Amino acid sequence: MLNRTQISTLLVAAALGGAITVSRADETYIPLISKGFQHQFWQAVKLGAEQEAQKLSVKISFEGPETEAMVDKQIDMLSADLAKHPKAIGFAALDSKAAIPLLKKAQAEHIPVIAFDSGVDSDIPLTTCATDNIAAAAVAADKMAELIGDSGEVALVVHDQTSRTGIDRRDGFLNEMKAKHPKVKIVSVQYGGGDQLKSTEITKAILEANPNLKGIFGANEGSIIGVLHGVKESKKKLVVIGYDSGKEQIEAIKSGDEAGAITQNPIGIGACVVESAVKALKGDKLPKKVDTGFYWYDKSNVSDPKIAALLYN
Amino acid sequence: MAEPKTATIEAEERVATTFRAQVFGSIARQKLFAFASLIVLMVFFGFASPAFMQVENLLGILQSTAVNGVLAIASTFVIITAGIDLSVGTLMTFCAVMAGVFLTNWQLPLWTGVLAAIATGAMSGLLSGTFVAKLKLPPFIATLGMMLVNKGLALVVAGDKPIYFSDSENFSTISQGSMIGYVLPSLPVPNSVLILFVLAIAASAVLSRTALGRYTFALGSNEEAVRLSGVNVDRWKITIYVLAGAICGVAGLLIASRLNSAQPALGQGYELEAIAAVVIGGTSLSGGTGTVLGTIIGAFIMSVLTNGLRILSVPQEWQIVVTGVIIILAVYIDILRRRKL
Amino acid sequence: MSPLVSVQNVSKNFPGVRALSRVSFELLAGEVHALVGENGAGKSTLMKILAGIYPRDGGEILYNGELVNFASPRAAQMMGIGIIHQELQLMNHLTVAQNIFIGREPPGRLGVFLDEDKLNRQAREILAHMHLKLDPRAIVGGLTVAKQQMVEIAKALSFNSRVLIMDEPTAALNNAEIAELFNIIRELKARGVGIVYISHKMDELKQISDRVTVLRDGHYVATVPTATPLDTIIGMMVGRTLKEDVQHPPLVAPRGEVVLEVRNLNCGPLVRNVGFTLRRGEILGFAGLMGAGRTEVARAIFGADRIESGEIIVRGAAASIKSPADAVALGIGYLSEDRKRFGLAVGMDVASNVVMATLARHLKFKFVLRQQAIRATVESFIRLLSIRTPSATQQVGLLSGGNQQKVVIAKWLARDCDILFFDEPTRGIDVGAKAEIHKLLRSLADQGKAIVMISSELPEILRMSDRIAVMCEGCITGVLEWKGATQERIMQLATQREKAKAA
Repeated sequence: MLNRTQISTLLVAAALGGAITVSRADETYIPLISKGFQHQFWQAVKLGAEQEAQKLSVKISFEGPETEAMVDKQIDMLSADLAKHPKAIGFAALDSKAAIPLLKKAQAEHIPVIAFDSGVDSDIPLTTCATDNIAAAAVAADKMAELIGDSGEVALVVHDQTSRTGIDRRDGFLNEMKAKHPKVKIVSVQYGGGDQLKSTEITKAILEANPNLKGIFGANEGSIIGVLHGVKESKKKLVVIGYDSGKEQIEAIKSGDEAGAITQNPIGIGACVVESAVKALKGDKLPKKVDTGFYWYDKSNVSDPKIAALLYN
Repeated sequence: MAEPKTATIEAEERVATTFRAQVFGSIARQKLFAFASLIVLMVFFGFASPAFMQVENLLGILQSTAVNGVLAIASTFVIITAGIDLSVGTLMTFCAVMAGVFLTNWQLPLWTGVLAAIATGAMSGLLSGTFVAKLKLPPFIATLGMMLVNKGLALVVAGDKPIYFSDSENFSTISQGSMIGYVLPSLPVPNSVLILFVLAIAASAVLSRTALGRYTFALGSNEEAVRLSGVNVDRWKITIYVLAGAICGVAGLLIASRLNSAQPALGQGYELEAIAAVVIGGTSLSGGTGTVLGTIIGAFIMSVLTNGLRILSVPQEWQIVVTGVIIILAVYIDILRRRKL
Repeated sequence: MSPLVSVQNVSKNFPGVRALSRVSFELLAGEVHALVGENGAGKSTLMKILAGIYPRDGGEILYNGELVNFASPRAAQMMGIGIIHQELQLMNHLTVAQNIFIGREPPGRLGVFLDEDKLNRQAREILAHMHLKLDPRAIVGGLTVAKQQMVEIAKALSFNSRVLIMDEPTAALNNAEIAELFNIIRELKARGVGIVYISHKMDELKQISDRVTVLRDGHYVATVPTATPLDTIIGMMVGRTLKEDVQHPPLVAPRGEVVLEVRNLNCGPLVRNVGFTLRRGEILGFAGLMGAGRTEVARAIFGADRIESGEIIVRGAAASIKSPADAVALGIGYLSEDRKRFGLAVGMDVASNVVMATLARHLKFKFVLRQQAIRATVESFIRLLSIRTPSATQQVGLLSGGNQQKVVIAKWLARDCDILFFDEPTRGIDVGAKAEIHKLLRSLADQGKAIVMISSELPEILRMSDRIAVMCEGCITGVLEWKGATQERIMQLATQREKAKAA
């Protein structure tokens, strides 16, 4: 029996041993801590960062908590990465204030911090590689107004009400409508946590409650896919506008189920973080903000190589 | 352990004594085993990466254990009664939010916020306990319901956004300050860890030295027997859930103070981590046995594992797999050990 | 002498059942009053009302001449009425002292902490007072059933009980333990404690009780002195006079070929070098004291425990039995002594239980249940074994012990098992049903089944067995032909510790 216990213990050790990647001490190591890792969007950011890292011969790691609610887990990740004394750090804060003590520590150790995506609400990061979400959501609002004839009822399905991107995209859309398209009425703003199934249910409920609805805006990939499913299950026809990309969304746009979407440049964001970090290490001056850009895409330009390069499956 | 009739009384007493020695021995051995696993893990990570054994990183591990450790203590009580509490994670969040309401929204003094968090936890525990004891709902269902109620209330009360404690200067010291560091500057152990240990010692004393602890084990061992002994089973059961809830209130304070904000969307999933820590620590899900010390060791095993894998830059997807495998192995080894008894 | 307790015209209804109908009962101080009746007669219900566990629906209870109304078991306990349940109500993870004082822990420092030393001291006093040899610090789960029962008695007496109700206290005890229990009862009696003693074992009642009250179907039948002939008492219980057949010799069917042979079987401390043979058409009794290893032998052969060494030969071929599934495939069935825990799904109906082990034969497309076929099978077994149940869809938990046992038997017969291990087949079963189970076992043997019957009741062993294997401390110390077997001879073998050690 004891033997079995010992064997089990050895197995654990072996399993752990197998999982370790040996790193060379002289390499430039830059950990990136994102807001998630499971979504296609983050995988695209990771890809961009990895490609850039290979180009510049640096080593990176990419981590993020399982859900965007897990602020404390992200802090633990940042803490563990700092313990490795990296040359620089890339960080997309879930909650800037919670991260300040650790960022101050990084600053004290002269580790450059590069913010990305929703950024970090502080002076510590040398630069921020991000999409201007407010401006991007405003473009989505303009397109929506145009497609429904500048009047009628519209609803929003947003991923959450606490994150920077959720707030910016929601407010960017709402404010643009209010300012430029007064005849468009926003009848509902609902939150589905970026979960496709929840967003589907929300969409169906919105359609049930608002039979005259002319359009829905889904504020991230999970939300828009939920909206598409909800609309399909309700057997209705209306203008659907999305955000980000992903195979399902691209196909919906090609088939006409979705009018179009805003794409950020996730690969560009990833590349920007690594590039900025390397520049910072060389002592180059960095701009306060790098807009990695966004684009409107629809059936007409989805296959355009310039757009296609920004989309991920 | 049956004895033939011809055995002398002395022999039978000896059997009883041996059995007792075995049981206590096994409890000691079990803690020793869990503790040994923890040490093995730490030595392993220490050799694998020089960054792991740095004081800073070890302090980071301590701090990241505080919240899960406190939640696991709360779960230990309920699990020993052969119950389960799925609401601890979101209750922690709701308690944090209530502290935020008192301190930030209403600008009341610090102690009211502390009281509000603990009272909120106790109230929720009172509801869960009443559902279990009086309405005879299975604990799984009652606390599943309360998990969602607390989650929803946290979002409603906070207005869907974090509440920041920027106005109450001292709030962050609850978790981030260091009383130990004040005395021993070279060892700035955060207060959250101090609170975890103090709470663990108190909980341990309650379990082993008070009537409440006695009934906690007794209920998990044979609830009907306790009832037939004339004990007011319902009242004690509710008390246990109230206590567990109040401990979740402490966890709420710790996490809010650490993040300097009450994050209303946080919390779900934390109950499973707490249960994992309890089970790794040798507490049986079927009730009747368990120790706080085991639970604390279990919580440390979890966070050492998470931190160590991170330090080794193991890809995140594999970290999750390894954690799952470790939980299964830890409980399996515990079962092997019990079978030996 | 005025009675200590006087129950007058008490009635109790459960949904759909009138459990007690105007029942009266009297208990004197210093008396052992036996309460008998078939299962379902209302004995336990009456005692649970007396102990404050159930409220009554009608009638009065006088205690010390005063009208009482117990709101809870605690209230009855505080007044000095204690009950020891048939299924012991102990907390196995706690110590003896902790069990005795549960709910009444002496407060220690600050009124918050418990004073464990005081607890153990008080428990030791109570145990010493009763001449019970128990360590207050022993964990209850590690004690023998007999010791656990003593804990229950000590617990009841720690309330200074003047009335002690014992529901089937000897069900799990061996003869030595029963003798010890009777000594305790006599001592209590001498101190003026009134004892209500519920049991199915008539010989025990003869030994220990002063008077006997008989209940039948929730009605009071009579109270008679213990000296009344047993046939008369049993007749009052079942509503007819039964011919007692204790000395009836077994009917010896022509024995067939050997179907099971076990050689040098070892499995843990309680199965050591066990060997025996079993033939078609015979009942092999397994006698021995509690803990002698009889159940363990059955479990080892059945594949429930992993054997360390030894050979099992089934119908002439060496068999490798690694799990109960292997055993069942070879036609070996094991009927556990604990029907409720290991034999039956008590929450399910009769039909589901009967086909539990044979479900695969009643499936369409290997998945869908054939309801018709199941019903036909079950109905045939209900007739064959005369299981008294309103229908095949009756919940098994609602049947009497004897009928539950028949359902378990039906389950194994349905599986075509022809080597059957019966572990205490009549435990907790009333007199009438017991005779029926015995008849059933005999007829199964006559049909060519090979039966091993484990029993702690020597009369049952002597009455039923064609041969008797006696165990002591994990060894078979002798195998007797029924002709030469006597209680004395069996006891002698069952206590041959020296021989067991040498083996």
